[in-house]
Amino acid sequence: MDSLYLAWRYLAFNKLRTATLVICVTLIAILPLALQVLLAESERQLLARAGSTPLLLGARGSALDLAMNALYFADETPELISMAADEAIATSGLAMPIPLYVRFQARRFPIVGTTLDYFGFRGLRIAQGRQLALLGECVIGADVAERLGIGVGDSLLSSPEALFDLAGVYPLKMQVVGVLARAHSADDRAVFVDLKTAWVVQGLVHGHEDVTRGEDSSVIIDRTQDNVVASARLVEYTEITADNIDSFHFHGSPDSYPLSAMIVVPNDDKAGTLLRGRYLGSEPPYQLAVPKTVIEGLLATIFRIKEVLDAVILIVAVATVLALVLVFALSLRLRQREIQTVFHIGGSRSTIARLLAAEIVIILLAAALLCALGITVMQPFSDELVRVLFIA
Amino acid sequence: MRGKTRSAHCLQVLLVLGLMMTAPLLQAADRLVVYTVNYPLQYFAQRIAGDYAEVVFPAPADVDPAFWQPDAATIAAYQQADLVLLNGAGYAKWVGRVSLPRSRLVHTAAGVAADYIETTGTVTHSHGREGSHSHAGTAFTTWLDFRQAAVQANAIREAISRLRPQYADVFAANANALESDLLALDTRMQAIVSAAPDTPLLASHPVYQYLARRYDLNLEAVMWEPHTLPDAGQWLAFERLLKDHPAGWMLWEGDPLQESIDRLQQHGVQSIVFDPCGNAPGEGDFLEIMSTNLRRLDRVFRSNDSGGVFQQGIE
Repeated sequence: MDSLYLAWRYLAFNKLRTATLVICVTLIAILPLALQVLLAESERQLLARAGSTPLLLGARGSALDLAMNALYFADETPELISMAADEAIATSGLAMPIPLYVRFQARRFPIVGTTLDYFGFRGLRIAQGRQLALLGECVIGADVAERLGIGVGDSLLSSPEALFDLAGVYPLKMQVVGVLARAHSADDRAVFVDLKTAWVVQGLVHGHEDVTRGEDSSVIIDRTQDNVVASARLVEYTEITADNIDSFHFHGSPDSYPLSAMIVVPNDDKAGTLLRGRYLGSEPPYQLAVPKTVIEGLLATIFRIKEVLDAVILIVAVATVLALVLVFALSLRLRQREIQTVFHIGGSRSTIARLLAAEIVIILLAAALLCALGITVMQPFSDELVRVLFIA
Repeated sequence: MRGKTRSAHCLQVLLVLGLMMTAPLLQAADRLVVYTVNYPLQYFAQRIAGDYAEVVFPAPADVDPAFWQPDAATIAAYQQADLVLLNGAGYAKWVGRVSLPRSRLVHTAAGVAADYIETTGTVTHSHGREGSHSHAGTAFTTWLDFRQAAVQANAIREAISRLRPQYADVFAANANALESDLLALDTRMQAIVSAAPDTPLLASHPVYQYLARRYDLNLEAVMWEPHTLPDAGQWLAFERLLKDHPAGWMLWEGDPLQESIDRLQQHGVQSIVFDPCGNAPGEGDFLEIMSTNLRRLDRVFRSNDSGGVFQQGIE
């Protein structure tokens, strides 16, 4: 007890040295622990989302890009497919297709164009307002509502794809009609719109005054008996209202309209196997990926990287321990007079050893306490940290 | 021994009574909610599903369902339905402007999609010289070809049977009865037209394309509304059309204005209502309305066959 008291007084007297030692030990301990916590959380999040998504259909290419875009709405848009692929799945009678078009953003949050089936599939619940009903409406995730401070009745503007795209499509002012209950997933950070609204954002579906009846003849370049050619002066509506919704129309065949991916929910295992067989060869321009396998592959890579990191941390830890030993050895030399005094007042070699051991124990305990505190503080944010650092 | 038999009988009676009392409850819980976009589909679905489904067509009676726009509350009701029966062929354009659960949509006319009639004469437009110019429409009163109507009914049977496979036999029997009725209309319509196959006819509105194609009607359409008196330009176009197409009868979707009837008569054209029945009729059902339509057409073709006009004014 005396040894502990003396060690404590000594450490308290040499504050700077003690603080440096505690920080060194804390850092070397907290790094692998924090990494472990974050990796465990990322594994949980990635696998939970991937495991609940049976199959993903997308263009041939990187299955990882496809999975990250379709599952976590990552910025990287995979090569696009068309609605014809969706129709092929629907008419096969083997599965329910849930199309996704994740390409645009609104105030840095991804706009997810999909159908109402998505909400049922993910078990998403409307906390405020109502479900999507009309073109131009959006339902926002809990994080979007919280961070942007918006809710039902407010509006949200889509962001242009390129800042200086002067010939691009005007941003669409979307009406927020619902806020989703928190789902603790990528859905919290998304702006959901109907697939057709996503095409309006792109300009594929649009509305404008009736050019066959319009009073401003300057917007007409050419007029024949069965066709009117309008110039770029023809203003397209940037907000869909009850007054102009009827003027919104498709150009071209809806079958050719783009999707970034499609969630495929087979009727049963047999249907899933049959479908996967259809997309196996090199002929179909699509790939049917099993998200769980893709994400497990990604996790395997992450864990390989973690093993390397662990090795690096181990080496750094050994170096730190050696440095600590050196610090203590040097401090023994510096403390020769103190040690002599201990001998003079009747202390033995073991007393000196106990004093030093007590100092080490106190430093290690302080570092462990700080470490636990750090991990405890980080834990509630690990969900968000993982999404920001690894997924988004 | 007698006591035991009596107890067994009592138990049986109680069991039967219990089943009778709980059956409606079970059936109500099991009942499908089906929404449709027009009246013919509602009629077909209700005939096929019987008491196993509540079939709803929520459009007000005074609107044309093809051009109706439901409000948010009605759209929410569609979203909650177990099945939403669409007509296809571009009918009910509002469907393209709202969010509906795709997995519960049934395009009933998908089986005849290859036979859709593309309408002509629609002014198209484009944005800049390089763009697409297509706004072409599709004729959408598919059920006026009664064989196509039977295909639509079959699509409804399949969709309902998928959701309630335990009653598939009942649905099949009901669908067969409906198909017989529709094919009887088809046969009768062919027989009517065969009395005077080349009889020139006029339609007040371009909604009879499938009827004309299936039954080989010599039919030309103008663009009039029953409740609006045609303007001078429309009469001029009508007179020009009449020169090339000397019809004695005009088919109307609904009761026309007396002024329209009178003026048509001055041109030697009688009026007849052939109700496409897109919306729910005030009285009767789809079959009764179609039977009335056919009865009227029969008189037109027979009157033409005998070379005379049988009645002044509207039929």
